Amino acid sequence: MPRATQKGGRKSRGTDSPLFDGYLNPDGPHRRAYDEMFSEDGEVRAPYRALHDAIATTSPEDLAARAEALDRAYLDQGITFSLSGQERPFPLDIVPRVLSASEWAKLSKGIVQRVRALEAFLADIYGDGEIVRDKVIPRRLITTCAHFHREAAGLIPPNGVRIHVAGIDVVRDEEGTFRVLEDNLRNPSGVSYVMENRRAMARVFPDLFKRQRVRAVGDYATHLLRALRRAAAPNVADPTVVVLTPGVYNSAYFEHSLLARQMGVELVEGRDLFCRDNVVYMRTTQGEERVDVIYRRIDDAFLDPLQFNPASVLGVAGVLNAARAGNVVIANAVGNGVGDDKLVYTYVPDMISYYLDEKPLIANVDTFRCWLDDERDHVLDRLDELVLKPVEGSGGYGILFGPNATREQLEEARKSILEDPRGWIAQPVVQLSTVPTKVGDRLVPRHVDLRPFAVNDGEEVFVLPGGLTRVALREGSLVVNSSQGGGSKDTWVLAGRSGEVDRELGEGGLVAATPATSRAAEHGPELTIGQQQQQQQQQAREEA
Amino acid sequence: MAGWRIRIVHETGYTYESPVVESYNEARMTPRSDARQNVIASRVETSPATRAYRYTDYWGTLVTAFDLHAPHTELAVTATSVVETADPLPPVRGATWEDLADEDVRDRFAEMLEFTGYVGHDPELAEAAADLRRGLDPVEAVLAAGSWVREQLTYQPGVTGVQTSALEAWHTRTGVCQDFVHLTLLLLREMGIPARYVSGYLLPREDTDVRETVQGESHAWVEAWTGGWWGYDPTNDLEIGNRHVWVAVGRDYADVPPLKGIFSGQASSTLNVSVDMTRLA
Amino acid sequence: MLARNAEALYWIGRYVERADDTARILDVSVHQLLEDATIDADRAARTLLAVLGIAAPADEVLDAWSLTEIVGYSTEQPGSIVRSVSSARENARGAREVVSSEMWECLNATWNALPERQRYARWAGPHAFFTYVEDRAAMFNGLAASTMSRDDTWRFYLLGRSVERVDMIVRLLMSRVSDRASSPGWLAVLRCAGAADTYLRTYRGAVDAARVVQFLLMDRLFPRSVFHALRQAEICLSELDSRPTQRIGAKAEALRLLGRARSELEFLRPEDLLVDLPARLTALQECITETGEAVSQQYFHTSPWVAWTAPEVV
Repeated sequence: MPRATQKGGRKSRGTDSPLFDGYLNPDGPHRRAYDEMFSEDGEVRAPYRALHDAIATTSPEDLAARAEALDRAYLDQGITFSLSGQERPFPLDIVPRVLSASEWAKLSKGIVQRVRALEAFLADIYGDGEIVRDKVIPRRLITTCAHFHREAAGLIPPNGVRIHVAGIDVVRDEEGTFRVLEDNLRNPSGVSYVMENRRAMARVFPDLFKRQRVRAVGDYATHLLRALRRAAAPNVADPTVVVLTPGVYNSAYFEHSLLARQMGVELVEGRDLFCRDNVVYMRTTQGEERVDVIYRRIDDAFLDPLQFNPASVLGVAGVLNAARAGNVVIANAVGNGVGDDKLVYTYVPDMISYYLDEKPLIANVDTFRCWLDDERDHVLDRLDELVLKPVEGSGGYGILFGPNATREQLEEARKSILEDPRGWIAQPVVQLSTVPTKVGDRLVPRHVDLRPFAVNDGEEVFVLPGGLTRVALREGSLVVNSSQGGGSKDTWVLAGRSGEVDRELGEGGLVAATPATSRAAEHGPELTIGQQQQQQQQQAREEA
Repeated sequence: MAGWRIRIVHETGYTYESPVVESYNEARMTPRSDARQNVIASRVETSPATRAYRYTDYWGTLVTAFDLHAPHTELAVTATSVVETADPLPPVRGATWEDLADEDVRDRFAEMLEFTGYVGHDPELAEAAADLRRGLDPVEAVLAAGSWVREQLTYQPGVTGVQTSALEAWHTRTGVCQDFVHLTLLLLREMGIPARYVSGYLLPREDTDVRETVQGESHAWVEAWTGGWWGYDPTNDLEIGNRHVWVAVGRDYADVPPLKGIFSGQASSTLNVSVDMTRLA
Repeated sequence: MLARNAEALYWIGRYVERADDTARILDVSVHQLLEDATIDADRAARTLLAVLGIAAPADEVLDAWSLTEIVGYSTEQPGSIVRSVSSARENARGAREVVSSEMWECLNATWNALPERQRYARWAGPHAFFTYVEDRAAMFNGLAASTMSRDDTWRFYLLGRSVERVDMIVRLLMSRVSDRASSPGWLAVLRCAGAADTYLRTYRGAVDAARVVQFLLMDRLFPRSVFHALRQAEICLSELDSRPTQRIGAKAEALRLLGRARSELEFLRPEDLLVDLPARLTALQECITETGEAVSQQYFHTSPWVAWTAPEVV
C-alpha cells in the first residue's frame, strides 16, 4: 500500500495510477535513495508535476505500445548495440528525467567551472608545470599517470583548447545534491543518444511535451562544429574538419556518423588520411585534400603508430608531429587522460582554487586515495563498506562493491591495492537518485546518473541542456553502463524565465511575417459527380 | 689537459628486401651544448633526401623527424656533429641520504626514481642495493653500484638486444653498455638515488691522435643526483670527460632511441650502423 | 568525396539493383516451374544458378522451393538476395554521412525485416518475399532520387546501379537464349524486367523472341534496357571526369569500355542481333567486369589498412 495514503494527509495523485503501484515501497532496495519524482512523503516534486500527470493518465497498454514504438524506431535507424551477435535497440526508457531550470543553472555553472579548471591544468601540465612547482599537487601524481603522454609536451593548440568536448559524470546523492563522479576528457561518448532520445520521444509520445517547455538539444552539432572550426590554426580561412572513427565495428560508430552528418563533414577512417611533411591529407576521388582539424574518436594509444602503438592500423602515422608543427589540430588533444584519471580527480577542487581562485560549485564524491598511506589504511579497514575503483577504469569495469563482494573478492582487492596503490581509489557507496522507469507493465524506481556534455570553443564553454541520463535497469543496481545492462532516458531541462532561454526559444523567424494569404493548391481535371453517376448507370445497365 | 674537439659521423642504413612505400622516422642524434660540451656544428641528413622537421621533446632532446613516400629499398641516415668537450667534473657531494629521502626531493625527481619497463623493481636486486649502500655516502654508493655491475656482467655484444631489460641482462650475466647502464640505474633507484640514462658517443682510446679517424661507438652512461647531477660511465669505470659526447637523457633507453620509425608493409630489413669519430683538436 | 565513400555508394547501387533483379528473375522462374509441370525442374534450376554465377549443390535434386532457398534466403551464397541486401546495408552503414537518413533507414528496415519476411514467405509462398524485395528496392530508388544531390555521390550510386542493371539483364537473357522462339517464356522474361506492359504497347501485343531480345538489349527509351543502362553509366562516368579535355581516344578505360559496348548496340542492325547472340552476351558481361575494375582503379584508390613495421635500431 502506498505510503502517502497511509499517512492520510494530502493525497498524492501519483499513487492513483496502477502504473505506480507499489512505487514507494518502504522496504524496497531503493528506499534510501533520493527519488526525483516523489518526495519523502509521496508528493510529486514540482519539476515532475506536469510529466507525472500526463503519464498517470496513460493506460499501461498505451505505455507498452509506445515503448515498443520507441524500440522499433531505434531498430530502423540502426541505433543499436550488439549483444551476442544480435543487434538490439539501445534501451531508451519511456519516462523522461526532468531537471528544473534552477537546478540546471547551478549544475551547468559548476560544469563550466570544472572544464575551465581542467583546461588550465592540462595547459600547465603540458607546459611549465607551475602547479607542480608550487606543490599544490605532487609531481609524481602526474608522472605516474599512465595517460600523461610526454609525446604531447610542448604541443600547444592554436586557440589553447584541449578539451573540445567534455563529459562530466554527475550523480545525486541521498540528499539530492549533485556531485561529480568522474570527468571524461578524452572521447566522451553518448551525445548522439541525447539527441536521438529526444527525437524519438517527441515522435512517439508527443503528449508529454504539451504542458511544458523543454530546452532543445538538437543544435549540439552546431556548437561542436563551431568549436572545431575555431580550433584551427588562425591562418586557415575555411578549415576542413573531419571526424576520425575506428570504423563500422566500433560500438560508438553510430555516434561518429551522426556527428559527421550533422556537421556536414567527412567521416574518415585512419586509412583515408595520411601525413606528408607534417601536413595531413585525405584521399578523395579528386585526389588529396588537406585536413585542418581532426575530431578524432580513437584513443591516444592508436592515434599515431609512430609515437604510440606501432601495431595500430586505425591511426595516422605522423599525425602528432603534424599537430606539433601546427599544421593540424587534434581534438580532443592528445594526453587529456592525465586530467580524468580518477586519482587526479580527487585534486580537481584544488585545481579550481589554484587556477580560478574559486570554490567548487559541485562537490566531488568523497574519495579515499590508496596511494596515501593513512587513507589506504582506512580503505583496507573498511573494504567491505566501500566501492573500490581502478583509477583508469571506464565503462564500469573493474569496480568492486564492497558490501556485495565475497570474501575472496575482498582478499583479492586487498592484494591489488597493496601491489599498486596508485591504481586504486575507494568511495563510500552513494545511493544514486532514482527516477520512475518502466519495467514490465509498471513504473518502478531505478538508479540514474547524468553525463552532461560541454563544448569549449575557446571563448565560451557551452553545456548542452540536460545530457545523457543512464539508468540501471536491474533492481537495486548502481551500475548504469550500457555494457552492463544499463539503459537511458530522455533528459529534460525545463525552460525557465532567464534571458538565455528566451533567446533560445524566441528567436525570430526567417522573415518577419508569412504572407497573409496564399493560393489554394491546384488540381487536375476531374469528372463531376454527375458524370461519374452517368458512367455508373451505364455500367449497371450493361450488367442488368 | 685542454678540451678536445671531436667530429662524429653516425651512419645508420636500412636495406629492405622489397620496396617500402611509406616510412616515418625520428632521429635523436643531435648533441646539445651545456657546461661540459659545446656543439659547433650538427646536421642530420637522409638518403633518399627528405624534408626534415625538428623539435625539442619532453626530455629536452633535439629530434629530427622525416617521412618518405616514394618506393625505396634503402634508407640511410647520417648525423654529423662537431663538438668541443671538456675535462671531467668531480662528482657532486651535496646531499646526504637524509636529504635524498626527503619527500620534496623525492617528488622533484620522481621520474628518475620510478621503475620502468627496462629498469624494473626486483626484490633480490633491492637487497643487493641495500647491502651496497651500507656505510657509504651517496657518491660512493654510485661508484660502488658501478663496480658491482661490472662484477656481475661480462661485456659481450650480441647476447642482449635493444629490448633487453636490466633484469634479463642480469640473469644472462652479459651485456653491452645499455645493459650496464640499466642495471646501474636499477640499483641506484632501489637505493633512492635519482638516476637517469644518458645516450651519446665515446671515443674509444685515450691516446687517439689529432686528425686520426677511429671507429667509435654509440654509448650510454648514467647521471646521478646527489645534490646535483653528475655523470659516470659504469661500463668502463670512467668519469665523463673529453671522450664522452652526450646527446639525450631520459629514464631509460626508451626515452632516447637514436633512431626509431615505422615503415609500411612487412618487408624484412637489415641494419647497418657505423660511428666514425675524428679528434680534430 | 572520400574515395572509400564513393566506393560504398557504387556498391550500394549495385547491391540494391542486384537484390531487385534477382528477386524479379527468381519470381518469374519459380512460378514458371510451379505452373508448368512439363519442365525439368532440376535442369531449369541448374541453368538459372549457372547464369547467376551461383554454385549449384551437386547431391540434390532441385525444385522451385530449394531454388528459392539458395537464391533467395541463403546467407552462405554470395549472390543470394539476402546477402545482397546485407551487403548493401553494410556499405551504407560505412558511408552514413553521404547516404541520406531516409535511404539508410529504408535499407536498414528492409534488412531488419528479412527474417520475418522469410518466415511469412515460407508459409504464404515465395512471391510474397520477392514482392517485398522489389517494393523496398523501388522505395530505396525513389528515396535516392528525391534526397540525393545530383553531385558525385549521385553519380557513383547511379553508375553502380546502371552497371549492375546491364549485368543482370544480360544474365536474364542468357538464361533464356536456348528457349524456343515461340515459347510463352519470353513474356515471362519481359515481366522479369518489368517490361511486359511497355513492350506489349510498343509492339502491339506480338510477343516474339527476336523482338524481346531487341527490346531488352537495344531499346533506347526503356530504362531497363541494356542500351539505356550503358548510356546512363557512360554519362555518369563522363560527368565524374573532372578534366575531360582529351583529343584522342578516351582517357579513362572505364569510359572507353562502356562507350564501345554502347555504340556497338547503338549502330547494330537489329536483324543482326540474333547472329551469335550468346557470344554477344558473354562479351557484354566481360565488358561489365572490366569496367568495374577500371572504375575501381580510377576512383577507389583507398589504401587498405596499412600494417606498420618498427625495425630494431641500435
